[in-house]
Amino acid sequence: MTRYIIRRLLQAIPLLFLISLVLFILMQNMGDPLATMGGRKVTRSEDRLRLARQLGLDKPIYVQYLYWLVGNDWTKSDMDGDGVAETPGVRKGVLRGDWGISLVNRQPVTKVIGERLSNTLLLMLTAEILIIVFALIIGIYSALNQYSTLDNTITAATFVFYSMPVFFFALGAMYIFSVNFKKWGLPYLPTVGMFEPSVGQTPAQVLWHMILPVSTLSFGFIAGYSRYIRSTMLEAMGQDFVRTAKAKGLPRPEIIYIHALKNAALPIVTVVALDLPFLLGGAIVTERIFGWPGMGRLFLDHVSRSDTPVVMGILMMIAIAVIAFQLIADITYAWLDPRIRYK
Amino acid sequence: MKVRNTLMFVLVSFTLILSACGGGQAATEAPAAPAAPQDTAAPTEPAPETSAERKVVTLIWTQEFDTLNPLYTNMWFVSVLYPVYMCQAWWYDENNDPLPNLVTEIPSTENGDISEDGRTITLKLRDDIVWSDGTPITSADFKFTYDMILADSNAVSSRSPYDLIESLETPDERTVVATFSKPYAPWLSSLFAGSAGISIIPAHVLQPVFEAEGTIDTAEWNKAPTVGCGPFVFEEWQSGSFARFVANDNFWLGRPKLDELFFRFVPDDASMIAALVAGDGDVGTFFAYSDLPQLEEAGITIMNSFSGFNEGWYINMHPEKGNPALKDVKVRQALAYAFNREKLVQDLLLGRTDVAATDYDRSPWVDPTITPYPYDPEKAKALLAEAGWADTNGDGTVDKDGVELVLKYGTTTREVRQDTQAVAQQDLAAVGIGVDLQSFDSDIFFSSYAEDGPSANFSLDIIEYSDSPQFPDPDASVWRCAEIPSDENPAGVNTTGLCDQTLEDMFVKQETQVDFAARQQTFYEITRYIFDNAYWIGLWQDPDLFGFSDRMTNVKLSGATAFFNVAEWDVTK
Repeated sequence: MTRYIIRRLLQAIPLLFLISLVLFILMQNMGDPLATMGGRKVTRSEDRLRLARQLGLDKPIYVQYLYWLVGNDWTKSDMDGDGVAETPGVRKGVLRGDWGISLVNRQPVTKVIGERLSNTLLLMLTAEILIIVFALIIGIYSALNQYSTLDNTITAATFVFYSMPVFFFALGAMYIFSVNFKKWGLPYLPTVGMFEPSVGQTPAQVLWHMILPVSTLSFGFIAGYSRYIRSTMLEAMGQDFVRTAKAKGLPRPEIIYIHALKNAALPIVTVVALDLPFLLGGAIVTERIFGWPGMGRLFLDHVSRSDTPVVMGILMMIAIAVIAFQLIADITYAWLDPRIRYK
Repeated sequence: MKVRNTLMFVLVSFTLILSACGGGQAATEAPAAPAAPQDTAAPTEPAPETSAERKVVTLIWTQEFDTLNPLYTNMWFVSVLYPVYMCQAWWYDENNDPLPNLVTEIPSTENGDISEDGRTITLKLRDDIVWSDGTPITSADFKFTYDMILADSNAVSSRSPYDLIESLETPDERTVVATFSKPYAPWLSSLFAGSAGISIIPAHVLQPVFEAEGTIDTAEWNKAPTVGCGPFVFEEWQSGSFARFVANDNFWLGRPKLDELFFRFVPDDASMIAALVAGDGDVGTFFAYSDLPQLEEAGITIMNSFSGFNEGWYINMHPEKGNPALKDVKVRQALAYAFNREKLVQDLLLGRTDVAATDYDRSPWVDPTITPYPYDPEKAKALLAEAGWADTNGDGTVDKDGVELVLKYGTTTREVRQDTQAVAQQDLAAVGIGVDLQSFDSDIFFSSYAEDGPSANFSLDIIEYSDSPQFPDPDASVWRCAEIPSDENPAGVNTTGLCDQTLEDMFVKQETQVDFAARQQTFYEITRYIFDNAYWIGLWQDPDLFGFSDRMTNVKLSGATAFFNVAEWDVTK
């Protein structure tokens, strides 16, 4: 297993390299970060030339990529515009842990992302836990009570929720639980932000503000996952080993949760591992609607300013997350199914 | 917009798909969420601390600050706050007249602070000016700011006009002497002052940073300027959420009447409107005209602040790349006569502003005899006919020598601009002019020639936007021959590609005219010349729209430094 993990990690290196290269090239077509620099006025030509030189944007794209990757502390740059490279570079490159400086606010990329990452993780992990718990409950219940009235109702509801766009659910939830509840004099949920600044960032405030965004992130996935679980549980419950377990007189909970569910969970692990990064993408929409100060809004804000270092940092983080989750999924397979052996 | 969305989609999708190594589902990143309906996005929390003890005003900001260091930002949403947390040599009042802030009086030839040759400007500083931590503000702060702007290790957003200064001397703690290499007429709007200028920065805070790190690019102060010199001082900034500025007890013009300015960052215009309507915010800005009735109904007072922006069409006159049809002044004038801009202003902008005649409307620099071209489609048709354009093949579009008159008309994705394109297309079609509409995200539209930006590569015939580089000063680079983008000058900003020697000579002349009346006369000639030649066709005067809740009092706005009297703002409840 250890050799397998090491091999997978080694395979990830050229893959990440390729991803970074293509993303870097794509980012060059996202606009000119010096065009207006977020302002209303077109940047003066002298300043455009100077800033391009100081920020290294005047270099050919392959040189910019090289500096991003390995830094520029081994070479000199022309900072004063006299045509002679005289100033030693200070960037170390991502291979040495330096993700660069944001073109928007000149802050280190790691700091810019770090300020928001915890907020997104809080939202994502809470949503993912809820998704798995509720999907398991609903999926198992539906499988064990196939074609019951409640199963049929759940089936219908899951199809409705699964086909509903995230933004539609978000705006609908806002309209009902915030606007109308307020109108009706009921306790209503906040629609934007992470906490009420006058109260402060207390756990209660954050939890209260998380209700709508977490629900929005969760609903579609709960609907989808519960269908998978229902299907795989139905299949597992009809297998010979379940019949044997029943014949041996094992308690029903043990048959369901230990024997059947463990086998039924294999495809679910695959789906969860693939969907976790997808949730990061979904958070872009959710965070924007609910004004949640996370990675999604950060991504949009910095894409709109063509801030290559920050956008590259976010996208590479997602890429690494995808690879990591897939590896975790593979390891989980082996734990769930003793027949699987990695070499 | 479509290009941007597609690229975003490709970026995220590519990351997910490729890193998934071909296994499993392809991620399909959802497009950015549409704006929330106004009645569903209301921040329902109460405004922070509005007790009788503390007077807090909440400003709803749709764009978060990038940095709070004035040297590093181009963002309007930051520079408009210089009168809040920073200080300048002078502000501008509601009439856009200079109002001394750090200086005892505005330099002039009469008081001897402008040299006879017009090259040297002397700033005489007040003796009671202090930073918020009590440290005196001296000429050393001006010198330090100047040095930081010009330091090659600092990637500041602009060096204008400091790169034109021959020397900046500080003979004593209260005197700053700036000597330009030649008379520099726009000094009043840019020398440590005005919307085009910057604020001074505290030497006693940032000098040690520069000495230690060789740059102030990444200084902590840039994000948390806890030492400032405005009526309010920075207190807190929660990334993505809010920022707070509290009253500066050391402000030399007196403590402000409010205790705190609270900035809430919201994701979009709809959230801002909803917050204002729900009473959860006191100040908002950059409204769509269509939202104004709803805001006014909710008790929000709308105030127009003219800051030199006039929306209009820049006509591509590039000698090689420009459309040959537009080289004829009659065709350009026909465009002006054919477009019912009065109706546009009434319908799209609800009559809240006026049709612009020149790029300098609402300033003292416009020849007062100029009035916009009236809507006269028959006159437009006649001009086209005089220029040899007629619909010979009966397809509804005029043609000449077998070439149809179809113009490429591009602008940014701002909603009102796209609506304008649609209206213009109809009006121009009525006189036989075809229009190919194109729109782009602003940082793509304004990309340089080197980046193949559509406003710089002369691929468009009509380029719509508004600019106000140094308001209230009228100097502009957009008409200058040396600013035509090319392989040799890839950063040029002359989007018209026009090099008209008569115009060039007038612009050169005004640059060194320190005398206001003489310079005004030159600009009368400039505006008349541009108008008569229809090099620029005005659409509307484009004010900054601000909204204030009904509990706010004493608010005045300046076009140059909007919040110049923020220390006087008050609330009634």
